[in-house]
Amino acid sequence: MPPSQLRALKSQLREKGITAPSKSKKDKKNGPSTSGKDRATALAKIRTEMNPYEYRHISSRPAKFPSTSVKGSYKDVLLRRPGVSKSAGEEVRRKQLLPEMRGRLKSGGLVDRRIGEGDGGMDEESRAVARFAREKSRNVFDLEGSEDEGGDGLLTHGGRAIADLEEDDMRISGDEEGSEDDGFLVRKRQREDEEDEVVDEQPDVKKSKKEVMTELIAKSKLHKYERQKTKEDDDDLRDKLDAGMADLLPLLRAQAAPPPPPPKPVEVPGDVSKINPERQKLLDGMDRGAADREYEKRLRELARDTRAAPSDRTKTAEEKAKDAAEKVKELAIRREKRMRGEAVSDDEEVEQAKDERDDSEEEAVVDEYGNEELGDDAAEFGLGSNVVEKVQHVDEDDFDFDADLVASASEADEESASSDDALDDAVPENDAEEEEDEFVSGIFGRGANAVPIADPNTKTATLPPTHACPRTHTEFLALIKDSPAEGLPTLIQRLRAQYQPSLAAENKGKMEDFSRVLVEHLVWMAEHGQEMKVMEQVIRHLHSLSRTYAIPIAEAFRSQLGSWLERSSSEGDGMGVSKGDLIVLVAIGEIYPTSDHFHQVVTPAFTLVGRWLGLNAGVKGMGGERSRVGAFMVGLCVKWVGESKRFVPEAVRFTLAALGNGGGAVVGEHLENLKGMAELWKGKSAFIEVFEPFIPSLRKLAKPAKSTLQHLTTLLDASRQARKPLMLHHHRPQPLRTSNPKFEEGFNPDRHYDPDKERSEAAKLKKEFKREKKGAVRELRKDASFVAREQLRSKRVEDEEHKKRERRLIAEIQSESRG
Amino acid sequence: MLKTKTSSATDLESVDYLKERYKVYKAMLLDLLAGADSPTQSTVLTLAMRLVKEETSQDVRHAEQAWKTGVFAELVKSLIVHTACGPAREEFVEKFVEEYDDVRFYTFYTISNFLSRTDIADKPRADATGNALNLLSSIEGIPDSQDQLEDWYGETSHQPKHQLLSLTQHKKRAQEAWLAVLRSELSKDQRKNVLAIMSSRVTPWFSQVELLMDFLTDSYNFGGATSLLALSGLFYLMQEKNLDYPQFFQKLYSLLDHDLLHSKHRSRFFRLLDTFMSSTHLPAALVASFIKRLSRLALLAPPGAIVVVLPWIYNMLKKHPTCTFMIHREIRDPAARKRLEEEGMSDPFNMLEEDPMATRAIDSCLWEIEILQGHYHPNVATLAKIISEQFTKRNYNLEDFLDHSYAGLIDAELGKELKKAPVVEFEIPKRIFTTEEGRLDRLGSLLSNAIGGS
Repeated sequence: MPPSQLRALKSQLREKGITAPSKSKKDKKNGPSTSGKDRATALAKIRTEMNPYEYRHISSRPAKFPSTSVKGSYKDVLLRRPGVSKSAGEEVRRKQLLPEMRGRLKSGGLVDRRIGEGDGGMDEESRAVARFAREKSRNVFDLEGSEDEGGDGLLTHGGRAIADLEEDDMRISGDEEGSEDDGFLVRKRQREDEEDEVVDEQPDVKKSKKEVMTELIAKSKLHKYERQKTKEDDDDLRDKLDAGMADLLPLLRAQAAPPPPPPKPVEVPGDVSKINPERQKLLDGMDRGAADREYEKRLRELARDTRAAPSDRTKTAEEKAKDAAEKVKELAIRREKRMRGEAVSDDEEVEQAKDERDDSEEEAVVDEYGNEELGDDAAEFGLGSNVVEKVQHVDEDDFDFDADLVASASEADEESASSDDALDDAVPENDAEEEEDEFVSGIFGRGANAVPIADPNTKTATLPPTHACPRTHTEFLALIKDSPAEGLPTLIQRLRAQYQPSLAAENKGKMEDFSRVLVEHLVWMAEHGQEMKVMEQVIRHLHSLSRTYAIPIAEAFRSQLGSWLERSSSEGDGMGVSKGDLIVLVAIGEIYPTSDHFHQVVTPAFTLVGRWLGLNAGVKGMGGERSRVGAFMVGLCVKWVGESKRFVPEAVRFTLAALGNGGGAVVGEHLENLKGMAELWKGKSAFIEVFEPFIPSLRKLAKPAKSTLQHLTTLLDASRQARKPLMLHHHRPQPLRTSNPKFEEGFNPDRHYDPDKERSEAAKLKKEFKREKKGAVRELRKDASFVAREQLRSKRVEDEEHKKRERRLIAEIQSESRG
Repeated sequence: MLKTKTSSATDLESVDYLKERYKVYKAMLLDLLAGADSPTQSTVLTLAMRLVKEETSQDVRHAEQAWKTGVFAELVKSLIVHTACGPAREEFVEKFVEEYDDVRFYTFYTISNFLSRTDIADKPRADATGNALNLLSSIEGIPDSQDQLEDWYGETSHQPKHQLLSLTQHKKRAQEAWLAVLRSELSKDQRKNVLAIMSSRVTPWFSQVELLMDFLTDSYNFGGATSLLALSGLFYLMQEKNLDYPQFFQKLYSLLDHDLLHSKHRSRFFRLLDTFMSSTHLPAALVASFIKRLSRLALLAPPGAIVVVLPWIYNMLKKHPTCTFMIHREIRDPAARKRLEEEGMSDPFNMLEEDPMATRAIDSCLWEIEILQGHYHPNVATLAKIISEQFTKRNYNLEDFLDHSYAGLIDAELGKELKKAPVVEFEIPKRIFTTEEGRLDRLGSLLSNAIGGS
């Protein structure tokens, strides 16, 4: 409960020291004596403060009328004084409205046209300022103005006052004294400009520094030239000696004879003997800049010259073995990564891929929020109509291939000496380079002095020592038509040695074509029923070539696959597979890693195998042929997924169908395949679902399938025992999408925190309009009441006068009548 | 050749005689139709149709009579009775039925008339049905509006209200002819053919589609691919005409057999299945049975089918969260967990149960999905992973996943240019087919078997 008015008054009085408890004399003497005047002001203050009508607490809202709102001390802001504001308003009206009202029905009279006169909003000082400004702007040639002002007229230029002209016009004239007239602001601006200029000058300083540097360089060059000049005599002498150098050089070089010496000796870089005339030319007054450039060029060339690099230390056997083991380990890790479908490549690319994936995730988020899903859902999984390769697939095939290549190029030379030339070497070789040598260096050594070494194991006698590299399969067939099939690996070896890319630039293209030819030839060999052993060697050669010519060989394989697809689609009811296709499959399985999640060659090949198995499993009454090829295909599948343990539904289906039909002649193979598959997928939880359907067929087969049946039953039991309910969704609970809580520092309940900017702007405008309208209405009302009051007052005055006059007249008449 | 009261006796005699000759000629002509080769058939047809023209170009009453009983009726009859006159039938449809509205009208009339006769033996009837079906299904030009009825073979002017001028009457005749055919015994292939052209060539003739109900229900009960084809028509009737088909879902469930995912009607079926199962009010047990059965079938399915099944399962699981127990089942009861540790879990799902409500699939788990996540085709494997990832996507558009095939998958990959060098196996094997002793190893022997045999 607030204290009563009386108590508040008392406490106020006591605080101000007006009604103090009686003080001791000592206190009175020491304490500040309150004079009568102070006392009066204090009392007045208390009076106004205690008056509940004098002050009004203003609301927290901003002032409605900026013109009438009181600005000032803290207290004034907090409180309003309606009485004061009212009287102020009254005052303003009296000043403005009243004269207007009075002169309403009058014409003529005196009109004060002085600036600001009659304008209530201007005080005395501002009026004076405005008038002064007007005077300043007056033209010299203004006849009206010329009377007022005598000497200090203004100049014009082009009909405009000079003050109105742009500053620059004045500047150019360079009138230093004229700037004295400039006002403070102008001076300030000038100062700022100067500062700007200082800042602007800084690049110039830098430039000059650069110039200094270039000068320095030029000077040092000059010194060099001078020094060289002093050595000119020596150079002349050396020149004589070096004259025969050009003839000597080719003899010194290990390479084949170089082209004849160029006609312009200037073009031979780094040739010491030819520098001198050039310098002579310079001294004779050659263009300095050109000479400089020439010098720089030479310098760079010299810097780039190869220097003797320290050779790698010869490694011990253990170190070599360790390195090899490490390499194998690393490769195995990479293989596993690829198997999981992760990107294996440079970090940079991984990051890029990640970014792209992030992007796609963002898109996915957009989808979650129910936006129109325009994209093809299937395309996300590489199943779209215009199939885009998945991001993770793009990068995963870069298998540090270049590093491999470089290594083989630099190390090959060292190891060629130690490598053995026998094809059938029992020692396990993991090092790719050594294997490379095995394929290449058996016949020829390296370098220009290479001499063919007769291989005792192969019949090379019938082969011509050199051949043109066959670029097409027909050429190749023509080449080998006279030689026995067994000699083919040797021939390939020879060709590879002869056309090594390190020997000539065009050899690379030749070998690429040759690689393609080899793939074609492999198919040809299979079609013509050649020996497996030879084909095996050809595949191994292709494998080794694939290290260098991966793309041409892969393309050749892919085109073989494509032709298979085309053939089998158009053939209709036939087997849809040729011997060549089978050998291509084997080669692909050997050359490329089949465990990869995705591989440009293996994946289509695998799909084709699946297609064949799928289409042929449904054929009723599976013939012997179909069964045999199928057994091979399933066997191939089992081999291919040996590491990755991927699931091949078609293989299961085909084997099931084959065994259901009794298996044919190759029932043993089918059973073997079944065993292989069971071993592969025994860890999978759906093992039972996959392999249980085999049981009836196996029972029917009885004897030959007995062991397989037993094996399978054991595995099935084990699998059933180990099976757990599926728990695929042990995900971290996904949090609801949140946005940061929006917290306003110093929240004002009267303010609208509308996130929609336009709406808030509109609301603001509306509010302002309303407020102004209200204010204007109130002002008009007040004006009206003021006018009414004034009219009433003037009427009263008039009435009063009228009455007075009347009374006077009556009194006069009465006095007359009396008198 | 008309007998009139005014004609003399000799005239009457000669008319009789001429009629007799004409009859014999007609019979000979139509007999020729059956046995002759195609050029002769064509000639016979042309001649017969000229006779038709003569006969039908009379006044209205006689013309109608001529159409219904004259040489035209005889011709159509012989066309559908004799299987051998295939070329003539084709020509007939191509040159006359498609061209002239009145020919078509009376063809329908004759066919329905003939097939509703009861005095035909089984064998000829089956032949006639086949031929009639053949004839009817080759008719392509179906009039949409009255205005299109303006090509007449007979040169008779019809009164405005004549039935030949009414589209409804045309449709009615066609409907009768079709129903006459469909009521007869149809072989499986014929049924399939009819179902295949049902929407394009049959239903447009029908003003009352409900009349196809019996045929469709019979076809649906047929099983196999026939059922698949009948499904859409049946569904239309159920949806629009309030047809009540008891145990529809049980029947639908029975369609999910081993051939379904290899069938060429696979995508058609899945489109419909998606529609049937789109209701959120289906019992979870039923949905679970469908999910489980399809995933079981996917174990042996081609990639093209697996990529349909997987998003479909996703959509179903998303729609029926009760079924998600099939992919994530935590056993909380300690006793049950202990038993599980010891004995493992056998699948409670009964594949042989026909009633989808009683298969106990809802108690089972989708282990099949787990093995499919290791599918050899990378795209399929990636797609299978959606089931085990968080279900953030609202649903997959099934239409994008239909119509994928082996050839499509391979072409998609082979069609791309080889940009990066493919990875090469880092180790070159010493042997591929042969063992150390120089004999063939397993792969070698398999290959030599395959190569030797093929």
